[in-house]
Amino acid sequence: MSPTPVLDLANLPDADVVGLAQKGREAAYRELIRRYERPVFSLVYRMVRDRELSEDLTQDTFVKVLTHIDKYRSEFKFSSWLFKIANNVAIDHLRRRQLDTVSMEGSPHATTSDLAEATSFELAATSESPLQELEARELGSEIERAISQLRPEYRACILLRHVEDKSYEEIAATLDLPLGTVKTYIHRARHELRRLLEHVRDGGIGPLEEGEPA
Amino acid sequence: MQHRHLLPNEFDLLLDEESGFGVQPLRDHVRGCTQCSARLAEARELVASLDELPLMSPRMGMADRVMTQVPVFVPWHVAARDTVTQWLPSTPAMRGLAAALIAVVGSVLTGLTLWIATRGDVLALFTGLVGEGVRNTVSQTAGDVVVGLFGPQLAVAVQQVGPLGVALAAGGFLVASLATVFGLRLIATSSRARS
Repeated sequence: MSPTPVLDLANLPDADVVGLAQKGREAAYRELIRRYERPVFSLVYRMVRDRELSEDLTQDTFVKVLTHIDKYRSEFKFSSWLFKIANNVAIDHLRRRQLDTVSMEGSPHATTSDLAEATSFELAATSESPLQELEARELGSEIERAISQLRPEYRACILLRHVEDKSYEEIAATLDLPLGTVKTYIHRARHELRRLLEHVRDGGIGPLEEGEPA
Repeated sequence: MQHRHLLPNEFDLLLDEESGFGVQPLRDHVRGCTQCSARLAEARELVASLDELPLMSPRMGMADRVMTQVPVFVPWHVAARDTVTQWLPSTPAMRGLAAALIAVVGSVLTGLTLWIATRGDVLALFTGLVGEGVRNTVSQTAGDVVVGLFGPQLAVAVQQVGPLGVALAAGGFLVASLATVFGLRLIATSSRARS
């Protein structure tokens, strides 16, 4: 008796692998997990900063996506759909846990600097617990620690932009945000990171006033 | 052009390597402004660090853990095709041999069936002999059981009333049994309701 033919899935585009999964090929399910387990885990881990929890949330993400694989529509990128669910899973957890983050920014819809300042606020920043400090060390560099201090919305945008190499349009589709909001979030995330990392720069140039005459 | 330093969002345009209208003047300004050039270099350094952030790996076996919770729905036509494929020989030579064998056996059986169908008298004789034998065996066995359980009088009575009488008696027994069951159930539920 001949065995079920082995499919060469590694070289197929995502849409084809998803199509095979929709036809009940378990190998296609596993290929999708193999392709995206590291990117999804990386995103979730940097969002929630807890390895064991990230494993569970990553697993939940894949279970949700693959259980509803029949609902996937090929006009959208599979990776965008997957990261959207991963981000939602992470954000939902963060909301439940109510992690404290420090933000100096005002409303993303503020159109002038005065309005931004009027809508900005400071949250009491708790010092890192020993466990958080250990987790931050595990994540390694100063930049990882700085990322962990961003607001979740900014963190998701900056990670999708620079770790997953997504375009602004893809990020907007993934996070269900207007394109302008995505650009604002990334701009503010970069600004915040520069401020947080300022202390590690030796002889760094001090911050300029915006629009200061040259 | 620019008589001021670049705004933060203008730095972002350069960082994202935008190429639209208005970007070239920004580049020109950076070339001529030491402070903006240094600021852009710092920002590029930050972006490069972000771009180099590594992917992290979960522990081994993620696919196995996920698949224990994901029902894989196989459409019926795919399952049927897979079943047929599993029964096919793996090599072309073996597939040829299997096809030849199937053709020979199928032809022999078809010929035999046609031959029997054209010999109606032989078929009737054979069927009658077999049927008679089966009928005699069943009757003998049933008679022995009835005599053994209920005695010879019942066997005589069954012979007298015939198959129709036996069927009526069996039907009556079935109705009486069902009525007894429902009656007992009714008594039990009503007594439970009272208590």
